[in-house]
Formats: sequence, structure tokens, C-alpha cells
Amino acid sequence: MNLIVLALVLVIFLSLGSALIGLLRGGKQGSDKMFKALRMRISLSVFLFILLMFASFMGWIEPNNILPTQ
Amino acid sequence: MSNEKYYVPHGTYWPIIGSIGISTLFVGFANQMHGVTWGWPVMVLGFAIIAFMMFGWLGTVVNESVGGIYNSQVDRSFRWGMSWFIFSEVMFFAAFFGALLYARVLSVPWLGGADNNMFTPELWEGFKATWPLISTPSEVGQGGVTWSTNFKLVDTWGLPAINTALLLSSGVTITYAHHALRAGHRNALIAWMIATIALGAVFLGFQITEYGHAYHDGLKLTSGIYGSTFYLLTGFHGFHVTIGVIMLTVILYRIQKGHFDSDNHFAFEGVAWYWHFVDVVWLGLFIFVYWL
Repeated sequence: MNLIVLALVLVIFLSLGSALIGLLRGGKQGSDKMFKALRMRISLSVFLFILLMFASFMGWIEPNNILPTQ
Repeated sequence: MSNEKYYVPHGTYWPIIGSIGISTLFVGFANQMHGVTWGWPVMVLGFAIIAFMMFGWLGTVVNESVGGIYNSQVDRSFRWGMSWFIFSEVMFFAAFFGALLYARVLSVPWLGGADNNMFTPELWEGFKATWPLISTPSEVGQGGVTWSTNFKLVDTWGLPAINTALLLSSGVTITYAHHALRAGHRNALIAWMIATIALGAVFLGFQITEYGHAYHDGLKLTSGIYGSTFYLLTGFHGFHVTIGVIMLTVILYRIQKGHFDSDNHFAFEGVAWYWHFVDVVWLGLFIFVYWL
């Protein structure tokens, strides 16, 4: 499960990077590329958040709620 | 926009005002750290000079842009400038996430005696590597005193999750605003921008509340490597959200002034990207601090 979460975070970063290239290029093409990449970025992020909620509900992943005590 | 020659900016007094502002800020800060009474007022004065400089300088740039002075060469230089700024921001947060990773995966286990070398187990006798580590190894921890207290972090599904939902929602609203701008839907654009700014402001309010809870529960900046990295990361992130909200508000003002059209809106694109970046940093924080 951790690997899936990490892979999604990586793809989100790559989308953000792709949007930056669009921003740098400018013009109609760059603007289109940027918008599509940012749309992909937010869609994946929302999906990841929902996935975390679902995985937590199913008991596939545990949040770091409590400090270990000695 | 027909002039494609290299644009040479006119002479201006804003850089020297900026330098005076930064110097004043640091003189005030340094003296405040030494407990000098006039430290705080001088710091505030320095900050006010910087704010005045930014308002004046950026206002000049906006007026030049709206006045049609800039050509495509200037457009490219703005895009490159934004890219280098973003590069520095990515490196800035990479350093703090790196510190978190290093402390958690390497240095704390080493202090606990894990596969480093023969010396580490003897450094702090009785130290057991735990995460989150909220007390710095020292003599205090020896002789039966526990290294970490029985301490409950803020529930992940409490404020942190609500804040994540808020920031992700603001990411959705700014994407709709972006679409509305490209499609030329002015009223929708303004409405989505207001929603984005409101969500950012509510996020900041909740973040302050969470700090209050955490401090009350004993998690402080001095609470070991975990407390330090937690407040550095979330604090600088909150600072960036504050800057983002200010920039979004300026962009909203410029939208109402009619500064952008569906083809030319670099300032909007720059701020939108920045907002998405701040959103992704929070997502990283939420996952690496609260989950993994």
C-alpha cells in the first residue's frame, strides 16, 4: 500500500513538473500543456486522498496517530 | 508589442528601497534576538519598508505590462524568472523533507545503535530509537528517565485531514478558475477565485488552531528532532500559503480591473502554478508526517 501511495505522489510531482515546462514554454501550446498537466495533478491528488481514506477504512494502512511510549 | 528589441528597464529607486528594508529588518531581528527593546519596532519598520517596496515595484511592473511596453522577449524573461524562483522553492522544501527523511531513516536509528559503527550504542546509554522522537538525546534521558513521553498526536483524521481536504478543494477551485479564464467566462472566474482565496484563508485558520492544540499537548519547536522538523516544514508551508493567498487576492483585483484575457494571463498562470505547488507540498507533508 505504501508503494502505491509513493508511486502516486511521484506521478503527481511529474504532472506538476510537466505544467512547469508548459509555463516556461508559453504561447498557446505551452498554456494548453500547463492547464492539462495541472488538471491531471489535482485529479490524481483528490484520488490519492480518497484512496487513503478508503485504505484506512479497510485497515490496509494505519496513520501515525500515537507516539510509541517506553 | 511590435518592438522585439531587448527591453532595457528604466532607472528606478525601488531596489535601494528594498535593500534599506531588508537591512532594517535584519538589524531589528538581530537586536530582538539579543533582547534589545527597540528590536521589535525596527523589525516591523523593516517589514513595512519591504511591503511598500513590493507594492510600488510590482505596481510599476503591472502598469508597464498593461501599458503594452513589454514584448515577447520580456514575456520569456518573466517565464524564466518564475522558473528559477520555482526551482529555488523546490530545493528549499526538498532540504526540509530531506532533513525529515535523514533524521527518521538514518540518524535516529544510528543513535539507537543500528548498523552504523561500534561507537553509537555507547553515546547515549539506554537510548532506544523511536519515531516520532520528541526529546533530544542528552544526559536528561539517562538514568531511567524516558526518552519520549506518553503523548498523543493530533488525530490524523481530525484537523490534518480537514486541512488536506480544504487545500485540495482549493486546488480544484483554482483549476475551474483557470478553465473559466481560458474560456472567457469572467463571472465564473471571479467566483472560483473568491472560493480559492476563502479556502486558503480557512486552511490558515485551522492551521493556527492545530498549532494551539499541539503546543497545548506539549509538542513544541524544542520537542526533539520531530518537533523541529514538524514546525519547520508546516510553518514554512503555512508561510507559503499566506503568500499564496496574498498573491491570489492581487490577481483577483487585477481580474476585476480587466488585466487578463483568455490568451494573455502569465501572472495568473504563475500564481496558479505556485498554488498547485503549495498544495502538493501539503499533500507530501500529510503523507510523510501523518501516514508513512
